Amino acid sequence: MTHIPIDLQYATSEQPDARPPIAALRNVFKVFGDVVAADQLNLSIAPGEFLSFLGPSGCGKTTALRMLAGFEAPTSGEVLIDGQVVNTIEPYGRPVNMVFQSYALFPHMNVADNIGYGLRQRRPRLARAEIARKVGRALEIVRLTGFEKRRVWEMSGGQQQRVALARAIVNEPKLLLLDEPLAALDRKLRKEMQIELQDLQRQIGITFVLVTHDQEEALSLSDRICVMREGRIIQTGDPQNLYDHPKSRYVADFVGTSNFIDGRVEHVADGVATLATPSGLRLQGAANAGLKAGDEACLSVRPEQIHMHRDAAPGSLPGTVHNRIFLGEHTEYLVQQPALGSLNVLAPRQGQPDDLSFQTGEPVHINWNPARALVLSPD
Amino acid sequence: MTRRERNWLLVTPAAAWFVVMLVLPLSVIFVFSFGERGPAGGYVPAFTFEQYANLPARFTAFKNTMILAPLGTIAAMLIAYPLAYQLAVRTDPKWKIILLVLVIVPFWTSILIRSYAWIFILGGSGLPALLEMVGIEGVRLIYTPFAVLIGIVYGYLPLMVFPIYVSLDRLDKRLLEASADLGARPFSTFLQVTLPLSIPGVATGCMLVFILLMGEFLIPALLGGGKVFFVGNALVDLFLQSRNWAFGSAVAFTLIVIMLVTVTVYMRLIARLHSGRQDISIM
Ligand SMILES: Nc1ncnc2c1ncn2[C@@H]1O[C@H](COP(=O)(O)OP(=O)(O)OP(=O)(O)O)[C@@H](O)[C@H]1O
Ligand SMILES: [Mg+2]
Repeated sequence: MTHIPIDLQYATSEQPDARPPIAALRNVFKVFGDVVAADQLNLSIAPGEFLSFLGPSGCGKTTALRMLAGFEAPTSGEVLIDGQVVNTIEPYGRPVNMVFQSYALFPHMNVADNIGYGLRQRRPRLARAEIARKVGRALEIVRLTGFEKRRVWEMSGGQQQRVALARAIVNEPKLLLLDEPLAALDRKLRKEMQIELQDLQRQIGITFVLVTHDQEEALSLSDRICVMREGRIIQTGDPQNLYDHPKSRYVADFVGTSNFIDGRVEHVADGVATLATPSGLRLQGAANAGLKAGDEACLSVRPEQIHMHRDAAPGSLPGTVHNRIFLGEHTEYLVQQPALGSLNVLAPRQGQPDDLSFQTGEPVHINWNPARALVLSPD
Repeated sequence: MTRRERNWLLVTPAAAWFVVMLVLPLSVIFVFSFGERGPAGGYVPAFTFEQYANLPARFTAFKNTMILAPLGTIAAMLIAYPLAYQLAVRTDPKWKIILLVLVIVPFWTSILIRSYAWIFILGGSGLPALLEMVGIEGVRLIYTPFAVLIGIVYGYLPLMVFPIYVSLDRLDKRLLEASADLGARPFSTFLQVTLPLSIPGVATGCMLVFILLMGEFLIPALLGGGKVFFVGNALVDLFLQSRNWAFGSAVAFTLIVIMLVTVTVYMRLIARLHSGRQDISIM
């Protein structure tokens, strides 16, 4: 095993898009008192893309979005929309609309008046018939035709969500900002709305910027994801790139689930690092850029990359099935390995020999393709 | 006990309160208003419309009340709204309580004493003297309808500020952001979002102040100097001085009817303005 082919297909994905960006953040800082909510944000948003900010609570996702909308001014740095610096332009002057987490529908207006609100603010004024036509079209897009005269508080959560969406898209903004728009919905409705949101974005071609702390949502919806941590964007990439090539343990952990094995880098050659674990094992994986011999590091293996066998194979490690959760098309195992501790293994159904699954307490042998394991900086 | 019986039991205290506090005194006034004045004052049972025929004798009091009470309500509202807005929307939360307390501080002193202060301010050696110093002579403020108006607006302002403050404070600030986001400038946002959503507070404040003003007698007596009588003053006079209980009852009953009609019309109007809205409750 001298050369492990590493998929380089995504290596260029972080370079700026050839088209001029529809919006951008340049060295943006935002400080609230002694909290740094945005720490040197640099980002270009391509026209028509679906971008997500993903990160744990308090990492500054909302702050980034509110600076694009104009509700917060950056402490330093520049916010650009359509090539113009908009730092000093008030929200009402920006060609940007936002869908609020709590929807923020006007309770004293019916559905049609809510949706037409933005159109009614236009100067020179739009003709009444024109407004009605656009509102009707927006209602059609969010599949609420016939609800014009409804009171907003008479609508269900999902319907209110769609009214909020319609109220924003009817203005044909250059940028549609969505702050955890689905967080208040129950799981089933959220799934439905995710699909609708994606369809909608393809249909109308508006650039979407979504804030979420739900990795599944970010992975399934976005063209590109910015993973955030403590005010910084720590990695940007398309979902598969982030999943397959996380640059740090934090990203590997936040995007999907993974098994982490700590150790020290013994040597790096041809992009392959050999990691020595404290228990004396030598494990190989694709090396993270910048790792060198002697560094603390960790090996990351996705649960679905680990294979289970009844018989020992060259390079396999013995273990015991500790727990087993049947998930239909997959089975999730917790395998206890004497040197590595417990490992999560996700086995697809057809991958199991003779369709016989492993039982709790059974001895097993596990291995994985080293090309599918990553050696990451431990941070 | 059936559910029905239990329900009856539950409404009994409210019903008793209603009968003792409202129906009983009203009935007494109603009956008295058809009676006659006894030789030494008080009430002699009779059935005559004489008292009602006599009402024009107190026309001025009705006229003053019906002009100054609505005017005072509107003036108080116009002053209270910006004040409440400033407190609820613009003030740093840590100052809010202190400033709100300052609004009620005047209530700690009797209205009698505060009105005397106004007698001094509006009287000869107060404001008019100041105006004379800058060359404006012969201004008379005290004992005019204007003095009474100032007095009632001053006295009832806190009652107006509070309900408006509450409705503005409760207003979801994200609605204002949503409005700005959709392209409305601050003043448009005020007209289209803030103002309509604070109408319940304004309606409550106006109703409270208007009802209380209709029965006011102390401020007109002090600042009107016996020249600007309210219906309340007429009642004090009829019940306490001339002891003409029958006529007093007729005046009181007429005032109640006027009040009832005005308030009903007003409530209908407000309800129409917000037809079908759930977030609106008046009082
Ligand atoms: N107006 C403000 N005043 C003071 N601190 C603020 C303000 N807004 C945000 N912060 C702070 O900035 C940091 C980032 O907040 P932000 O709301 O952007 O996080 P978030 O990623 O959206 O979190 P969540 O997922 O919980 O919504 C937090 O520490 C927060 O306390
Ligand atoms: Mg947030």
